[in-house]
Amino acid sequence: MAPQTVSLRKALHEWRLYLIVLPSILFVATFSYYPAISAVYHSFFEWQGGEVKQFIQFTNFRRIWNDQVFWSSFGVVSILIAANILKMVPSILLAVLIHRLRSDKWQYYYRVLVVIPMIVPHLVVLFIWKFFFDPNLGFLNRILDATGLKTVLVHMDSLFGWGVFREGIPIAWLSTPDLIVPSLIIWGFPWIGAVGVLIYLAGLQAIGTEVYEAAELDGATSWQKFKFIEFPLIMTQIRIMLVLLIIGTLQGFGLQLLLLGDSGGAGGRGMVPGLWMFNRGFVAGEFGYACALGMVLFFFILFLTYINNKYVRVDK
Amino acid sequence: MSAVTETVVARKKRFVDLPKHAIIWLVLAMELIPMYMMIQISGKDNTTFMLNPWWPVGLREWAWENLAFGFQLIGPYIANTVFVTVSITFFSMILAVMAAYFFARYRMPLHGVLWYFFLILMLMPGVANIVPLFMLLKSMNLLNTLWALIVIGIAGGQVFKIFVLRNFIEDIPRDLFEAAQIDGASHLQQIRHIVLPMAAPIIGTLAILAFLSQWNDFMMPLIILRDKELFTLGVGLIYLDGEYVKQWGQIMAAFLIASVPLFILFIFCMKLFVRGLAAGAVKG
Repeated sequence: MAPQTVSLRKALHEWRLYLIVLPSILFVATFSYYPAISAVYHSFFEWQGGEVKQFIQFTNFRRIWNDQVFWSSFGVVSILIAANILKMVPSILLAVLIHRLRSDKWQYYYRVLVVIPMIVPHLVVLFIWKFFFDPNLGFLNRILDATGLKTVLVHMDSLFGWGVFREGIPIAWLSTPDLIVPSLIIWGFPWIGAVGVLIYLAGLQAIGTEVYEAAELDGATSWQKFKFIEFPLIMTQIRIMLVLLIIGTLQGFGLQLLLLGDSGGAGGRGMVPGLWMFNRGFVAGEFGYACALGMVLFFFILFLTYINNKYVRVDK
Repeated sequence: MSAVTETVVARKKRFVDLPKHAIIWLVLAMELIPMYMMIQISGKDNTTFMLNPWWPVGLREWAWENLAFGFQLIGPYIANTVFVTVSITFFSMILAVMAAYFFARYRMPLHGVLWYFFLILMLMPGVANIVPLFMLLKSMNLLNTLWALIVIGIAGGQVFKIFVLRNFIEDIPRDLFEAAQIDGASHLQQIRHIVLPMAAPIIGTLAILAFLSQWNDFMMPLIILRDKELFTLGVGLIYLDGEYVKQWGQIMAAFLIASVPLFILFIFCMKLFVRGLAAGAVKG
């Protein structure tokens, strides 16, 4: 049902209808629009957050242009985005595996099992991983030692000259500069996202059993079934997740703040753009500069959204 | 085909899936390791943990005092979080349903302008707003209050909810509304007696999503709250991580208790969790 058009005269009589949408508008205007406009305004000021502020035109933006930390943080976030895209694979494969099961009962049980980890708050999962990364008590090092993978890593180290893994010395995941980005990537292994799996499964449900039977008659292999039947059908879902993931990673900094602190860990190697903005604003008290950083970040995200809409079209 | 061969074929088919089951169990087991660790460590004091880091201790040696400690510490934070999260979910759903009704039923003058007023927000990244939002709350004297979290939370999720709900309300047959209008029902009555029952599943799903994202939020509470009595779970856990680094059993017990409310919610709303999450997200 399309919305019913109301003429201006009738609308004047039905003015009360606007009251229905007014509360939403007030909230959004005050807590979303006003801060956004205020950010644009204050990005042209030197402002420590108090009453005093000084108009400095484009000085903040010129400073950003030469801000090494900010630009190298885009390098870090690019690596994380690439890694996160690869980390979508386990969820997709798990969804396909669950969907291919013949028993509907088990399909349902597995869905429930996939969702169960969601009851642990994200923050708690992060802190448990922080504990896993601990050099002496952490389980990551214990598992590497117990399985002998540590020796492999040490050999690879001497082969490639990384200089981070040494025999007999516990690996300090979160305090060795060269290991910070790898730690940010491996946390959450095996990288199953409950919402992702459920969304892919919803897409896969569109495939009827007769499609599979036809494919089996034609002698299709597992891989061919995935490539020609399953993958095309969940393309829409994968695109949605991809867009959410890229934008989320680009602007997110909670993970880095909690695992590494507000300066991005040893040598600032885990610094991402959002964290730098947070750091300038709430640690250094340079609120004007932080607003300007936020503006630049905003334009990057806007640009990415534009690219997404143009090339990665999501068909509804 | 005789009945006997049929069962043989069926049995054969059942075993075909065994490798898949094995892989799924392996992956799920790894996914559940953090939960397992949290639960088994919460039953140990530090000495037991050092001696035996991997396996759970028996119920008789279980350090129940850890749970008591965790509850004492986390309990007030949970109360604050429940208050904030429930208020946000409740009020933001009411506002969103009303706004979605406005857009779905009538094309009033200014319809398009107002629709884009909301839609553009989807492009605005929240991250650029944090600093000015902090300043706004400061000037409104809302810093260090739970109300600050509530008003921000209500405003934050509006766009997405209105966007999804509008589609669902447009799908409700117009006859229902017209019949109600002939009976003299006001708009609010139509929302209550037609929209709420007809769109209940999607409203439930959106409410769960809102609840989850608020429950997991720690950034705004971290910036806004100063007093320990007001801490929500997020900030509380961050301070706990800083303060009690040595007593792992107590920390894990606190984590475990922090997970209990969502566990209870999960038991009551399992269908919405498992079926609704995906369906809602795809339709939107």
